[in-house]
Amino acid sequence: MGDKPVWEPIGSSFIQHYYQLFGNDRTQLSAVYIDASCLTWEGQQFQGKAAIVEKLSSLPFQKIQHSLMVQDHQPIPDSFIISMVVGQLKADEDPIMGFHQMFLLKNIQVAWVCTDDMFRLALHNFG
Amino acid sequence: MRDVHKDQQLRHTPYSIRCDRRMKWHSEDEICITTWRNRKPPGRKMRQNTQDGYTRNWFKVTIPYGIKYDKSWLMNSIQSHCSAPFTPVDFHYIRNRACFFVQDATTASVLKDVSYKICDDENRKICIFVNHSTALPVKNKLKPGQMEMLKLTMNKRYNVSQQALDLQNLRFDPDLMGRDIDIILNRRNCMAATLKIIERNFPELLSLNLCNNKLYQLDGLSDIIEKAPKVKTLNLSKNKLESAWELGKVKGLKLEELWLEGNPLCSTFSDQSAYVSAIRDCFPKLLRLDGRELSAPMIVDIDSSEIMKPCKENFTGSETLKHLVLQFLQQYYSIYDSGDRQGLLGAYHDEACFSLAIPFDAEDSAPNSLRKYFEDSRNMKTLKDPHLKGELLRHTKRDIVDSLSALPKTQHDLSSILVDMWCQTEWMLCFSVNGVFKEVEGQSQGSVLAFTRTFIATPGGSSSLCIVNDELFVRDASPQETQSAFSIPVSTLSSSSEPSLSQEQQEMVQAFSAQSGMKLEWSQKCLQDNEWNYTRAGQVFTMLQTEGKIPAEAFKQIS
Repeated sequence: MGDKPVWEPIGSSFIQHYYQLFGNDRTQLSAVYIDASCLTWEGQQFQGKAAIVEKLSSLPFQKIQHSLMVQDHQPIPDSFIISMVVGQLKADEDPIMGFHQMFLLKNIQVAWVCTDDMFRLALHNFG
Repeated sequence: MRDVHKDQQLRHTPYSIRCDRRMKWHSEDEICITTWRNRKPPGRKMRQNTQDGYTRNWFKVTIPYGIKYDKSWLMNSIQSHCSAPFTPVDFHYIRNRACFFVQDATTASVLKDVSYKICDDENRKICIFVNHSTALPVKNKLKPGQMEMLKLTMNKRYNVSQQALDLQNLRFDPDLMGRDIDIILNRRNCMAATLKIIERNFPELLSLNLCNNKLYQLDGLSDIIEKAPKVKTLNLSKNKLESAWELGKVKGLKLEELWLEGNPLCSTFSDQSAYVSAIRDCFPKLLRLDGRELSAPMIVDIDSSEIMKPCKENFTGSETLKHLVLQFLQQYYSIYDSGDRQGLLGAYHDEACFSLAIPFDAEDSAPNSLRKYFEDSRNMKTLKDPHLKGELLRHTKRDIVDSLSALPKTQHDLSSILVDMWCQTEWMLCFSVNGVFKEVEGQSQGSVLAFTRTFIATPGGSSSLCIVNDELFVRDASPQETQSAFSIPVSTLSSSSEPSLSQEQQEMVQAFSAQSGMKLEWSQKCLQDNEWNYTRAGQVFTMLQTEGKIPAEAFKQIS
């Protein structure tokens, strides 16, 4: 394509940062969302940074670990990036479950934020 | 902080515009320094300059959020930090920014250095950007007498009932020529004067005709977004616009009708549909282009002045969109499963992207059924080869359809898909489809695979969607998924966004229905609303019933 694919490092570092925050302290995830963000969690929608962080903080587990297996990133016109993550998670002492998450990232000022987010648990555990 | 601008320069999409210029990030309140691989012969710039008698060296100085500051305070502060005095020309405000021009390179570089040196009264450092200017300051403002004459002429050309202003071939209007007033709309001063008169006298303007005015750029016209925001019809036909990129300067107008024929830009597109889709990218609500009706735009009733405002209606409830998406998926997969995927060319944007991934990184660890997808799998986590990374991100519809055609033949189970519509903006819709499909030939014939496919689409022709991004994830289906796949005849398409009920849940519904006397659907809803807590659902039901809140139709007919 000729141009350097800058969306890949941007997507990768966002994802790394996101799951690190998620695992350590979910309330800090407000930094990656903006007021216009929208989260679709298992089919339910949450609009705005506050509602999103509330939902994530209120998820019924203390500890959570993520293992990322697959990542892919694509550029979208008008300075967006879409990142896909597939992996496994373990909440507290529950069995391992697969999950699939999509992030729509946008460049606002100097940072990249998530404007839309979609999360689904997989019925099936991969691998 | 100046590195910010360098970074802006680097961030770009792989989408190249035909005229071989880099695409500019479109930001509201930031100035992006763009570099042009400009293949235009220098002749044009010369022409512009000699016409107005300017030299080449104009620099535009911009202070973002400059509107906060009082002009004299600002200019005095800047002057006090400059080693040599300078003359600012044409100081004006555009949106939040303050701008002025200076004439030589030395002054320009001195001003660059003043950036972040001045503190405002909130103790914030003021940022100053300096660019070599392609737009020239508005020198030679029209004299009052000329303005008056122009206003009278424009009045004559204004159709009150249609709120339409016809400025075609304005330069050669007999009234103006007779009085030796040369309104060349390419010149900043003339365009600015015209817009000023529009702002004062025709602020509710709906239609503007600028046909045949030899316009080769629309820089001066961009102010129209603020001066006449209601313009819905714009005629720019028979001008000298060379690139669709120029339209980006008036992108803020919510145009419904646009005329562009007779401009060089029209012949820069490979075909009609590429032309239409490029123009539509700029003006998503466009209904007519060059006199021809376009299909109805996808987005209806969304009031969004900024692209990232949250959608006012809950779009999972938007029936029109849901229907549109399902219809699209039905058409898409009927071609995808047909054995010849070439028909998908019509579904993709010229500059679309596609990639796929499977959860296996070594060919041998992948089960047989997934082996054929392994070659195309692009897992950024483990893929290190930059060449391969680039190759596997398919770009342009031709490439995409070719690579899709090489994938195994499939049959998708559309009755069991789960669709999440998770993002909607003025021009794009993102939705993800979860489901299963069967391999229909080859070694793994009959095996069932599960997939999640995310589409990002924009409005396309014939009330359909045009795919801009397509990301596919494929894995083996679980035993449950395999069992329940294809259990319902394929002709029915259910759009249920809830997973089907488990055996236990079905039994609960039956029992609840028997006990409460309510029909199955109502019983199911009551149980769902109470998270399948049978006792609680029962209590809620009893309470509502005593309050008389349950309609009669909820109950089974007593035969």
